[in-house]
Amino acid sequence: MEKVVLVDKLSKEFVVNVKKEGFLAGLSSLFNPTRKIVRALDEISFSIDEGELVGFIGPNGAGKTTTLKILSGLLYPSSGLVQVLGFDPWQRKADYLKKISLVMGQKNQLWWDLPAIDTLDLNRAIYELSKRDYEKSLRELVELLDVENLLNIPVRRLSLGQRMRLELVAALIHNPSVLFLDEPTIGLDILAQTKIREFLLDYNRRRGATMILTSHNMDDILGVAKRVIVINRGKIAFDGKLSFLIETFAKKKLVKVYLSDSTDFKKFEEIGKVKKIDFPEVVLLIPRETAAIATAEILQNFPVADITIEEEPIEDVIKRVFKEGVLRKSK
Amino acid sequence: MRKYWQIFKVSFNQEFAYRFNFLMWRVRNVIQILVIFSFWNTIFSNSSQAFFGYDRAKILTYVFGILILRAIVLSSRAVDVAGEISSGNLTNLLLKPVNYFKYWFCRDISSKALNIGFSAVEIFLLYLWLKPPLYFQGDPLVLISFLVSLIFAVLLFFVILFLVNIISFFMPENAWAAQFLFIVIILEFFSGGIFPLDILPEFLFKIFSYLPFYYLLFFPLQVYLGKVSQFLIFKGIIIAFFWFMVLSFALLKVWRLGLKAYNAEGR
Repeated sequence: MEKVVLVDKLSKEFVVNVKKEGFLAGLSSLFNPTRKIVRALDEISFSIDEGELVGFIGPNGAGKTTTLKILSGLLYPSSGLVQVLGFDPWQRKADYLKKISLVMGQKNQLWWDLPAIDTLDLNRAIYELSKRDYEKSLRELVELLDVENLLNIPVRRLSLGQRMRLELVAALIHNPSVLFLDEPTIGLDILAQTKIREFLLDYNRRRGATMILTSHNMDDILGVAKRVIVINRGKIAFDGKLSFLIETFAKKKLVKVYLSDSTDFKKFEEIGKVKKIDFPEVVLLIPRETAAIATAEILQNFPVADITIEEEPIEDVIKRVFKEGVLRKSK
Repeated sequence: MRKYWQIFKVSFNQEFAYRFNFLMWRVRNVIQILVIFSFWNTIFSNSSQAFFGYDRAKILTYVFGILILRAIVLSSRAVDVAGEISSGNLTNLLLKPVNYFKYWFCRDISSKALNIGFSAVEIFLLYLWLKPPLYFQGDPLVLISFLVSLIFAVLLFFVILFLVNIISFFMPENAWAAQFLFIVIILEFFSGGIFPLDILPEFLFKIFSYLPFYYLLFFPLQVYLGKVSQFLIFKGIIIAFFWFMVLSFALLKVWRLGLKAYNAEGR
């Protein structure tokens, strides 16, 4: 299959001005700034096939966003090779830009004071879409994202979830074949998150678009991407099947119990590894396979007000990946 | 072309989004005109004598002329570029197949169209009230020269403003100060926005006339008023053209450097 994204030994360094505290120190740094070099990406390499949907996970500041910005041509790589669809992204050729899109969960392209339809009209002109293509694309996206009645309301009056859906319409109106999504569900409630995840999965199947989706939250990737790249401190810690990552490194689930009454806390140790007791909250680590049974057991034997089952925090999983030293397991 | 017409339209709509703000901005404009007008009117009202070769009629013509030119040349949207860069909103446009300079020039034109439209009404009303002596140029050759000098003024201002704004790439925190210093103080002073430049001593005036700012307001107005000979009009347009080329070249260079320094912030 054809490689759509090709990254080889890519590094990116930022020069940061260090701010000192205090007025006098601040004044001196105005004339004599202290600079520090931060290595955001350290010789990372990977490639992505056509139509693949890849999850890019790692804690905040790991280098996910930097990678996406380089792939979309916003940042100049310090060294290494980057190629997307055969283009050098940094040149930002019109032919390239017409084929890609970058969606950032915390950045909007919609004109704040105007209805979204104005931005869409503008995008139609900028991407030089024919009336037919534009209307077809718009109809499909509007229906899938259920935003028909939001198009004519000034963007500033919409909720975050509504806005995000319209952002997706604006980002996809030109039918890009490569899509970079940077935490598209950040700040949304569970329902809205699910809606967007389902849409992305559907879009990937329908159009065969190649997609990279970043998140600092593993739940976000579960059920969407088959392949994940785990990145931490600018290095790739894992690149392979998500199922393998989970089987190997995320064997346990986090069960959080909120008690309605005091109880014998020792009894929790019979069920699973107690991670934290902070009444009324008790956090347990329980093997993935038996999590459901354990939950039932807890409900039966303890005064439970609320109970949730969650994935372990990504930081914990990554720590384990590093500790066990399994790097870049093949797909 | 359609692309840029659409940008023009959206930009135009945007200006109207906050109607009250818009209204207040126009009120401020009218007050500004009144202040400048009454300042010069007071200076010259007590005597019939001339200062620096300007009598009351001439100075009021100058002031009114500058006001009209200011609406055309100095009204601009590209002042937002610095903010776009430091907030990271530049990202949105960099990702689109559109020329960034053309995009902002288009928005400038849209802002100018709006400004000219409203200023025309305001200035007309003020004219009826204050009755300054106006000068109507009838010579078509002079009018054409004026138009050419005006086009260069618009282009020059765009390039200068853009250059000042993209300082933001290298020092995002100081862009506003730079903008204020250049646009409000230096540019207004050197372009004849505050006083007629020809009241300056000969040698200073000579120096000023070789700077690009001179061609923003003072030069086009002098051409319109018929105070410049054909030869000097020609010479002036050549100098303006020269500055336009030099500054455009500098702009492209700095822009490329800026993009390399750009961190696409705001996450």
